[in-house]
Amino acid sequence: MTGVTLRNVRKSFGTVEVIKNVSLEIKKGEFGVFVGPSGCGKSTLLRMIAGLEETTSGSIAIEGEDVTHVEPARRGVAMVFQSYALYPHLNVFENMAFSLRLARASREKTHQMVGEAARILKLEDHLHKKPSQLSGGQRQRVAIGRAIVRQPKVFLFDEPLSNLDAELRVQMRLELARLHRRIGATMIYVTHDQVEAMTLADKIFVLRDGEVQQSGGPIELYDDPDNRFVGGFIGSPAMNFLNGRIVSRRGKTVTIALENADGQTLEARIGQDAVGEGRTVVVGVRPEHLELCEDGVKVGVEMAEDLGGVSYLHTRTTDGTEIVVERRGARDNLNDRTVSLRAAPENVLVFDPEGRRLR
Amino acid sequence: MAMLHNRRKHVAIAASLVAPFVATFCLVFLWPAIRMVELSFTAGPLIGEGTWVGLANYKRLLTDNLFYTSLKNNGYFVVLTVVPTTALALAIALAINRLSGRLQAAMLALFFLPYILPVSVVTMIWTWMLDFQFGVLQPVLAFFTGKPVPVFKNPYWVMPMIAVVTIWWTNGFNVLLFIAGLRNIPQELYEAAALDGATKRQQFFRVTWPLLWPVTALVLTLQLILQLKIFDQVYLMSGGGPFNSSYVLLLMVYREAFQLNHGGYASAVALILFVIIMVVSVLQFQVLKIGGRR
Repeated sequence: MTGVTLRNVRKSFGTVEVIKNVSLEIKKGEFGVFVGPSGCGKSTLLRMIAGLEETTSGSIAIEGEDVTHVEPARRGVAMVFQSYALYPHLNVFENMAFSLRLARASREKTHQMVGEAARILKLEDHLHKKPSQLSGGQRQRVAIGRAIVRQPKVFLFDEPLSNLDAELRVQMRLELARLHRRIGATMIYVTHDQVEAMTLADKIFVLRDGEVQQSGGPIELYDDPDNRFVGGFIGSPAMNFLNGRIVSRRGKTVTIALENADGQTLEARIGQDAVGEGRTVVVGVRPEHLELCEDGVKVGVEMAEDLGGVSYLHTRTTDGTEIVVERRGARDNLNDRTVSLRAAPENVLVFDPEGRRLR
Repeated sequence: MAMLHNRRKHVAIAASLVAPFVATFCLVFLWPAIRMVELSFTAGPLIGEGTWVGLANYKRLLTDNLFYTSLKNNGYFVVLTVVPTTALALAIALAINRLSGRLQAAMLALFFLPYILPVSVVTMIWTWMLDFQFGVLQPVLAFFTGKPVPVFKNPYWVMPMIAVVTIWWTNGFNVLLFIAGLRNIPQELYEAAALDGATKRQQFFRVTWPLLWPVTALVLTLQLILQLKIFDQVYLMSGGGPFNSSYVLLLMVYREAFQLNHGGYASAVALILFVIIMVVSVLQFQVLKIGGRR
């Protein structure tokens, strides 16, 4: 069953088009994440689903019902804001009960529903407190509680964890994942943090300049990006990119001479027959797919970041292009040494100069 | 020892920094105030020594009909101005707050403009506009009453008219305070309320009004103090008449002190007004604070 469906949605502020023809679908009960750099339109898109921004053209449907021109309160959505947007003059109980009070719900119903939300979020001891007396994490939970009480068809989260410190962010991320399992509602989550996107999402939508670049499961996007932007955005440390030229082709295996590394070569797999010798390409390799070897692409190690289990070698090719290599369990110090790198052909991704993937 | 020394130096520096203010304050406020209290217990003129008469001035006040008339008029003026100007300022601020950009700035300037005028200019403008024979507002009054009204010579019209002029003159500042208060309320609260199902009306009563309450309490208190001190507009437009129907306490002080040279008696009236303002404003602010906490 469908949860949220967007068809050819556009949004303009004056002459500036910030959302350009977005169509997407999030199934009922799915956790969808909009991710992208700041200014990509992800928050605007979320606010359009909430009804806080007008939709210039196209249609938005929630559980099969067209809500494009329906006011926010009647869309069956609840939103958690980045700033929490708690009512500062009301205590935690009244903050969560706000929508019920507006709907003139009975005393018992109010107490039962707020009590239930408070129990899920472990806020029972704080119900009488004002938001200013709570910590960041607690405020965040109150904001989520306010959303739960409304029993919406869709939960919308606008960068809800970005005001929390790193440790709390990890903790709240897990709590959100648990909450999603427990209540099973459709959720849409906006973040610029690809780690949050990877860990929370059933389905990620990577946005850039108001367009969906690619959508799919986290691992799908990680392993099989459609373009250079998605490849570079998903994954930390980011994918390494090197310019090159195809020098020979045997079956599906091509040999690429790297312009950034004095013409040293890497092998890659490409299915399309049309991609032949002489073609300029961009090669993308993830740090964990590079390994040290006897004979390969020569790079100088500038610095190693040893984190214990894993270490990242920051290396440079002869023309100064940076390449990050991930090593596991290594104990030797390679600072200022020259090493050789190789990668298995199936792990070397090839893009055309415009950034489109060549498969 | 070094700590002690430093601390003494610290205190000395602090004292030398506040000394100019303390000295000026004592010279031009505290000392005259004490002298005034002293004066109120004498039958002295404004300048020079007077004989000590104890509470005689205050006893005389209790039997002075003009004092009661003035007190009543002060109260009437407060009723006519404080709450109406606050309500009006809030309404105007809410309207201006919905505008944006240059239009908002222009409207704000328009409402603030009267506030920068000196009181004599304000009263000149309104005396001219309300002139019995040539006033541009007389046709408007005639439309409602059937005939022109000499507003500053009519005991029923004079106080409300002075109140209108006062509100027109001072409202801009209150609008400014309310606008500042409204801008302090994050937009997201309204978005959250809209998602929670609040209508515009409910958003006002459940979000704007409670969050704006500290500003409202401040405006009400400032207005109360200001309007109890009414003098200039009455003096310039009606002179306290007709039949003392716009006579107020400060006008009484002025007449007793500067026209009749009854320094002692004028001091007693002034002191009573001072006590009234202090008690009423402290009381009001406390009541409003409790009202806001509820």
